[in-house]
Amino acid sequence: MSDSRTARNEPSLEAAIASDGARSRQTDVPAISDDTRLAVEIRGLVAAGDMALARDRFAGIVSAHQRRAVRIAYQYLRDAAEADEAVQDAFVKAFLHISSYREAWPFEVWFTRILINGCLDRHKARARRERWFVPSEEASGLDQARYAAVIAPDQNPEARLLARERRTRLAKAIGHLDGRQRLVFTLCHYGDRTPREVSAITGLNESTVRVHLFRAARKLRGLLGGTS
Amino acid sequence: MIGRARHLHDDRLFSCYVAEQSGEHVDSPAAEHLEACAGCRARLSDLARFMDGLRTDAETESDAIFTPEELRAQQQHILRRIEHLGQPARVLSFPARLVRRHLTRVGARIAPRWAAAAAAAGLVIGVGVGILVNFNAPYRAEGPAPSVMAVARPSRAEAPIIAVSGPGTAADDDAFLSEIEAVLRGPHNQELLLFDALTPRESEILAGLR
Repeated sequence: MSDSRTARNEPSLEAAIASDGARSRQTDVPAISDDTRLAVEIRGLVAAGDMALARDRFAGIVSAHQRRAVRIAYQYLRDAAEADEAVQDAFVKAFLHISSYREAWPFEVWFTRILINGCLDRHKARARRERWFVPSEEASGLDQARYAAVIAPDQNPEARLLARERRTRLAKAIGHLDGRQRLVFTLCHYGDRTPREVSAITGLNESTVRVHLFRAARKLRGLLGGTS
Repeated sequence: MIGRARHLHDDRLFSCYVAEQSGEHVDSPAAEHLEACAGCRARLSDLARFMDGLRTDAETESDAIFTPEELRAQQQHILRRIEHLGQPARVLSFPARLVRRHLTRVGARIAPRWAAAAAAAGLVIGVGVGILVNFNAPYRAEGPAPSVMAVARPSRAEAPIIAVSGPGTAADDDAFLSEIEAVLRGPHNQELLLFDALTPRESEILAGLR
């Protein structure tokens, strides 16, 4: 995907962050979840200068959201090393800016927004790199090798080959989605976010999110032949 | 569009799927239609199977790549990074201070002076080497070089090789090729005759050109 296309298709999350306060006043605020309460507590500890305890509490938040975060980042970036870095950066950034967190939205929504911002930046940087250099197959090859070693050590070669082909087809099909469709689909389907939460994360209108989600699913069904 | 004869549009059907997944209630006309229409129920279950398949595949793949050990290591890495957030980065002050002191004492004239000296040295060396090369060139062409080559080769090859080292003429080329033919006719070179048969002769090439 070219840089200009990326810029056209990717939603402006910075604008969403800026309008977050106004948005939260307009919509009804969901009940405070445990991780939100924990994030508020960490914010208080950081403000009081008790960094050791804040870090200790933050470890709980990391373990609660880590798996979902790597799923989202990996499905968006399709590169294990980059996904790992993106998740690490997002958690570090969340801790660094915890004082700016407001409980108007669940912590997970705020954190996912940070994560997606990082993923979008990485995606743009990769598109820029690929314009100048030949893309390397090494990373995806390593991911496939890791996958094969863990998931299918006892499968016969034919089953392994079929599974690999299916994953490749799925990855290619998701690669055919345009920027917003891909983002919305990843968040809704792999990140288990509701359209309303995706609307809060991306700054898109909720009905726009639903339209993108429907179009993404329809395109994927068309590309993958209706069955997965 | 909902009706007895018509079925739910794909987008309405997808909304029903999303509503089920998000724990929202399906809008009542669509819910009523789904209850009454077996075809739409089958389409909805097909859609749900397809979407669930996508999710399962993706989760299996990423969970296989990010194993619990990987996640533990990642968590430790994150916490280590957070621990170092408040600490200022260590800076080795020695080189910076040294450079600053030198710069303030001597000033910015050092660089141009060194650059000029280096350029002058390069010019002198270049001119010297040029003179040496020009001085030795004729000597090497006429003097010891041919004799070294002649010593290294068998005596039969002496005259043609010396001739080749000079300016090339047709007579020299002929002599060189005849020398090769003489070598090929020798007792220990029978195996090379096949290769020789494949190689075009100079006379054939010249005849072709004429």
